[in-house]
Amino acid sequence: MDVVLQILVSGLTIGAMYAASTIGLALVYGALNMLNMAQGALLAFGGYVCMYVMDSLGLPAPLGLLAALVTGGVLGLAIYALVTRPMLGSANFETQIFIATIGVGSVLQSAVLHLFGPQPKAQPLQIPGGLTLGGVTLPWQNVLIMGVTALMLAGVAWLLGRTRAGLAIRATAQNRVAAQLMGIRIGRVYAQVLMLSGALAAVSGVMVSSLSGLLPTMGADPMLKAFVICVVAGLGNVPGAALAALVLGVLEAVIQYLFGVQYAFAILLALVIAVLIWRPYGLFGTRQVVRL
Amino acid sequence: MTPLRRDIAASIALVAAMAVVPLIFDTRYVITQLTVFFIWGIVVTQWNLVLGVAGIFSLAQMALFAVGAYGTAMLAYYGGMAMVPAMVIASLATVGVSLVIGFACLRLKGPYVALLTLAIAQMLYLIVVNDTGCFTNPPSGCLPLLGGVRGFSRFGDLGFRDLLGSKWFVGHYYVGLGLLLVAQVFCAFLIRGPLGLAFRALRDNPGYAMSRGVGRLKYQLWVFGLSAFFTGLAGAFYVAHFGVVGPIVFSVSMLLFLLAMIVVGGMGTVWGPLLGAAVLMIADEGLREVGDWREIGLGLVLAGFVILLPRGLVGLRRR
Amino acid sequence: MSLLEVAAVDAGYGAQAVLRNLSITIEEGSFVALVGPNGHGKTTLLRTLSGLLHPTRGEIRLAGRRVDRLRADQIVAAGIIHVPQGDLLFPEMTVLENLRLGAYLPEAAAAAPHRLEEVYALLPKLQERRFQVASTLSGGERRMVGIGRGLMAGGRILMLDEPSLGLAPIIIDQIYEVIRALAASGRTILVVEENAMRIAEMADRMHLLDNGTISWSGGGAEFLSRPEILSAYLGG
Repeated sequence: MDVVLQILVSGLTIGAMYAASTIGLALVYGALNMLNMAQGALLAFGGYVCMYVMDSLGLPAPLGLLAALVTGGVLGLAIYALVTRPMLGSANFETQIFIATIGVGSVLQSAVLHLFGPQPKAQPLQIPGGLTLGGVTLPWQNVLIMGVTALMLAGVAWLLGRTRAGLAIRATAQNRVAAQLMGIRIGRVYAQVLMLSGALAAVSGVMVSSLSGLLPTMGADPMLKAFVICVVAGLGNVPGAALAALVLGVLEAVIQYLFGVQYAFAILLALVIAVLIWRPYGLFGTRQVVRL
Repeated sequence: MTPLRRDIAASIALVAAMAVVPLIFDTRYVITQLTVFFIWGIVVTQWNLVLGVAGIFSLAQMALFAVGAYGTAMLAYYGGMAMVPAMVIASLATVGVSLVIGFACLRLKGPYVALLTLAIAQMLYLIVVNDTGCFTNPPSGCLPLLGGVRGFSRFGDLGFRDLLGSKWFVGHYYVGLGLLLVAQVFCAFLIRGPLGLAFRALRDNPGYAMSRGVGRLKYQLWVFGLSAFFTGLAGAFYVAHFGVVGPIVFSVSMLLFLLAMIVVGGMGTVWGPLLGAAVLMIADEGLREVGDWREIGLGLVLAGFVILLPRGLVGLRRR
Repeated sequence: MSLLEVAAVDAGYGAQAVLRNLSITIEEGSFVALVGPNGHGKTTLLRTLSGLLHPTRGEIRLAGRRVDRLRADQIVAAGIIHVPQGDLLFPEMTVLENLRLGAYLPEAAAAAPHRLEEVYALLPKLQERRFQVASTLSGGERRMVGIGRGLMAGGRILMLDEPSLGLAPIIIDQIYEVIRALAASGRTILVVEENAMRIAEMADRMHLLDNGTISWSGGGAEFLSRPEILSAYLGG
């Protein structure tokens, strides 16, 4: 029983970390059919900026988190202005932007390497200790990760569901031409979505690095997992992505426990591949995704 | 002259010109670098067929290359097989793997294919490097079934050392050149021939082509499988040439380098990928001193070309 | 001054011009029908007017102000409202959310409560269905949401692209009743239609769009009384 709870706690923590960066990817794909391969580098940027603000500038943790958030948002906006905007309306936009963001990711990741060095570093945003309840220990760090993620998810839900900007984002995702005919400036929507997604990725990077440490390449794995989660949920499906992230997080924890850490990702991928063969448009996806 | 004949003639002329090179320069470095160019040339011409002609956005190209490479190494190392049959069997195995990947992916839309193939490549990589149990214990130490992080070495070669002595690398040069010729002619056939036309019809008007009964999936599988044969063969030859293989073939920067070749040269064209391969390998050679900045440069080239020159260098001329 | 003036416009997709030297004027308060064979540029003209496409030559003026360089969202703000072919609803939103999006811009949003009343009065079915998700509606209901959404925007001119396309005859009758009511309300309306006879009965003015340019203009009654126009149209 205790083991089950322990696995559940670590699974939900993993899932929470994935959810934060996954919904950013899902939002961007939903709004403008862009798979952002630079997301992993944004994760790393967020983690390093938080570390820099806390360690080198000696500022408190909330400011570190805020700095990461802002950096991620600014980088997202820069990606819109320099990469996405010039390519809007070009032939084969989906494939071309995918390739372009692979290049951007490589540039950003190297920038992290040059700015902060190749050596592994520790993320200073740590809360020691934990809460022991009936033989199960719940580390404060996990509580922090789940709390921050819950806050971000709630924020995104509020933004999408209750604000005018959110309405414009949802309208654009559902029908781009119609959104324009309603008077929505879709260029601004794209910029907002990329900014939001960059900010989410950066915060998610802080969370990931608080468990696994900082490395310039630290974003690659979480990004691939975030993509896998998006695919499982059906690309562009934001609530589905959040749910799938939690489910896959728990699944990963179970696999880790049963088969060992080194096989967790490989088995997870094998499962996902099987899912896709069974349901090509994702678990919650609609058929329309695989149109001609 | 039809475009196809012109391309074949050009391929033969180019290869004839390249065949003279070792007679003029016999510096080992130059010859070896050119041999590497042949290998990457084969990989990118075949990947270009998949990406630019069949329209399958597969990122599993290096995983297929790795199947050819690892297959050859393992057949030779464990089975004591001679290089040439091992290479052929490994290339056929690559076709098999590609068909499995194809069946899994081809019903999906572009970005799903990209993500799924990337995930498959990553999964293969993880299986290789996370395999730490000792399968055998050669004098050099514990060796996992798939070679682990260290990979394979000492499994024999193509026999040019006995034949040509210290000039053995010239033998590899000609083998590589021959393979590239075959791969490039195959590429020209596919792009200019009826299969290429069918694909253009599919790309320009999927609905029409489908209503006319052009079986998209069937054609895509054909291209995927045939190009996988040459890709696997390139991997096999890579192993035979270097005498080692390790998980580096799965690395992201390798994938990036090859993708950049296609994008810089011009995706979907007959000569673009080879041109891109030449340009990037020369640039890479020149940038060796500033190795730290290689990744940034590569990233900028990739993004810059897609944004500013989406049809690549070959597209410049046609404009 | 006419409300809308299109002067010598060329427009199309890429290098291919669909509209060639097209000129047309629309008076305030008139009901104008644009007819012509498929593929001759009717939808392209509407897309150009609403800023989804930009003319490569010529000018478009709304009440004297040039609008042909504005973005689509700016054109909506200027008052050209386009109800597109095939409705293009927001499929995962409810009828009410779709209607509210019609009044997305601040000026329209301020007027939304009473406009919603008007839309419900004109299209009572929408009030019944207001909490239903758009993708689950029938074809006729979707068309009504599309028209209602356009009405929510207010604006100075309402453009309807093939409002009867793909509907059953009995539903077409209902949609035409709605259009007739709109025409009677004194709005400026531009309708693109395949079914020229039916729209001619209510149009103040008809334009025949043939091969990317206006080949004939006149009153609705004149159109009906001159069979040679019709036969040329059917023959074209």
